[in-house]
Amino acid sequence: MIDYELTNEQKDLQGRMVAFCRAEIAPAAAELDAAAPDKVPEMLRARFRKLAGAGYFDLLLKADFVSQCVAGEELAKACPATFLAAMSSGTAFGMAIQCFGSQAQKTRYLPGIAAGEFIGALACTEADAGSDLSGMVTKAEKKGDGWVLTGSKDLVTNAPVADAFLVLAWTDREAGLDKGLSLFVVEKGASGLAVGETVETMGLRGAPTAGISLTGCAVSADALVGEAGGGYALLGRITEWIKISLSSMSVGLGVACMEVSTGHGKGKKAFGKPIGLFEGVGAKLAVMFTLNDLGRMMTLRAAWSTDHQETEAPILTASAKLFTSESINKIADLAMQVHGGHGYVKGAAVERLYRDARFAELAYGTSEMQRAFIARDSLNRYKPA
Amino acid sequence: MDFTFTDEQRMFRDTIYRYCKEEVAPLCEAADREGEFSMEVWKKLGSMGLLGLPFPEEYGGSGADFTTCCLAGEAMGHAGLDGGHTLALGAHTYLCGANIMEHGTEEQKKKYLPGLATGEDIGCMGLTEPGSGSDAAALATTAVKKGDKYILNGSKTFITNAPLAKVFVIFATLDKSKRHKGITTFIVDAGTPGLSTGKPMHKMGCKCSTTSEVFMEDCEVPAENILGGEGAGWRIALGGVEWDRSTLLSPFLGGGMFMIENCARYANERRAFGKTIGEFQSIQNRIADMRVFLEAARLAVYRVAASKDNGVMLNPLLASVNKMYVGDKGFEMCSAAVDLFGGYGYIHEYPVERGMRDAKLGQLGGGTSDIMRMIVARFMMM
Repeated sequence: MIDYELTNEQKDLQGRMVAFCRAEIAPAAAELDAAAPDKVPEMLRARFRKLAGAGYFDLLLKADFVSQCVAGEELAKACPATFLAAMSSGTAFGMAIQCFGSQAQKTRYLPGIAAGEFIGALACTEADAGSDLSGMVTKAEKKGDGWVLTGSKDLVTNAPVADAFLVLAWTDREAGLDKGLSLFVVEKGASGLAVGETVETMGLRGAPTAGISLTGCAVSADALVGEAGGGYALLGRITEWIKISLSSMSVGLGVACMEVSTGHGKGKKAFGKPIGLFEGVGAKLAVMFTLNDLGRMMTLRAAWSTDHQETEAPILTASAKLFTSESINKIADLAMQVHGGHGYVKGAAVERLYRDARFAELAYGTSEMQRAFIARDSLNRYKPA
Repeated sequence: MDFTFTDEQRMFRDTIYRYCKEEVAPLCEAADREGEFSMEVWKKLGSMGLLGLPFPEEYGGSGADFTTCCLAGEAMGHAGLDGGHTLALGAHTYLCGANIMEHGTEEQKKKYLPGLATGEDIGCMGLTEPGSGSDAAALATTAVKKGDKYILNGSKTFITNAPLAKVFVIFATLDKSKRHKGITTFIVDAGTPGLSTGKPMHKMGCKCSTTSEVFMEDCEVPAENILGGEGAGWRIALGGVEWDRSTLLSPFLGGGMFMIENCARYANERRAFGKTIGEFQSIQNRIADMRVFLEAARLAVYRVAASKDNGVMLNPLLASVNKMYVGDKGFEMCSAAVDLFGGYGYIHEYPVERGMRDAKLGQLGGGTSDIMRMIVARFMMM
């Protein structure tokens, strides 16, 4: 029997997150965005400890994506950059270790991740390999019991603060994507690992980003996550989780955009009445609400589907990611328009949200890639016999 | 939280889908081309129990819940039924029948529902007037009490099923100065002196449903035909919104599935520049967008149904969200389907042409998208 309402437990979680984020996260969101790159790591660590205290990382390490989305939306609403950094550590790194790591890896990393003391990152993208990983160069060569990694990774979220990286590398180039890639944990301080300068990003500036280089970086046999050659399949699973998370990030951002826009629509007067009472502005608020509301439903649907291991989960996840990421860009654009010139200045919340929103459509599978994936499924379903 | 239908609901949907695909849909193409309501289609729908689906069994219905009613609508659209016949069903079963079911007296239910359930009697609802559409509370049809009768005067327009109807559910006002509070609903039988219908209108789409004006000139209605009591009309009209925003939209979901199937098949077969057009990204993009639209629309429609079935108060905001999204985006997707078919999409023989014409109604009927945005904005500005 269908029932689209949150359970009481989920509503309680939502209530706790709302209160926590309002008190601890939202007030300094603008400050984190404006901080100089060298100040960000310290600020972020402080926030991670608070999030851990609120049980947020424990939640990310549990395979309950509906609850993660409920809580994640609130965090993203309060501070999208903190959300992204926490997701990169707790989900992209932590959940991967939780699901695919050895007992030793779990013991070594997960308590720290859960406590917000240890920060993880996922390093896959390279200068010539994004959606198409076949262009990847980074390789891992067997040497004795261990491996030696050589190559470089781009656009690694959390790199400037990370204590460990989950690195994708070729272990057998000839075997191709499906059998030739493997995931390794490389800890900060490993010889041959160098973290580049922080890359200044357009938005989500509180989630610091940098490239890393691996120059004859030797790691022990214990660093391999899962089986050698199984990296691509594992990355596929990790990307699914991230896409669900990013969908809830977009929805949280959408709520933030709506709140400031509705506030502006009520407070700002023109021609003798609040501008939100003009149809042109009101219609924008309505479209923002509609896209965000349906995006939330799609996100929860995808999360629930993943939790219940439905066969259509990957399609629903891609659909949610595509819908919410395009929606948040539309929503942020409308929010800016509602604010007029007041939104275009540094310090305006909507200016920050507008920059943050742009990320969603680019990361972890561009909209172009989601469409190609979704369309292929429909085309294959109706192939002539 | 649960996103799965029961086994019984799924089986029901599949049964309706197969039946409609084999028995009903083949009749629809010709009917649409002629712009004619098909009594044969109607009888087939009636024989499957689809015309009285939500009515209690003692009145000839199946006692189906909202979700099941939506699944039936989805199955009909998916099978390839045209928007005209599904609209006729919507006006008959939900706007006329379900209103009597929910607000009627025991006598009224006994008198009207069994005939509506079989389809023997066709029902319609008259709310819109030449001078009042979205602003329904401004309606001008008057009802004046005279002894144990009410005298109705006024006219209605765009009334689906009116040319064929036996049972008219009519909204009139006892006192126009009271706006909403004066509105009262009456059941008017065909043949009542003073009641007449205009010439059927020729429409852009949903051609197989009949549409006309309804005129009331000193039309005497017995007091026992009042529905829900004096002044209950506005409440009835608002309650109908729940049916409107779920069951009446559900054939659009099925229509979306039908459209994606047709587009994907065509894209797999049609070749250009040495490959199937499905290998071009611009074609893939259209198919992906249809699929995403369908997922969002499905959640929107079934959320209303689930809230009704589970006894959760429906947030009126969400009903408007559904109507706007399914209406606007649905039309956009149907237009994209025509693009995908190229010149063939512009030809009657291909189902996407009909789909686009039919889908236009989604943006207009039961409250335009502009009005939906106004409603949502008003809630947000509160």
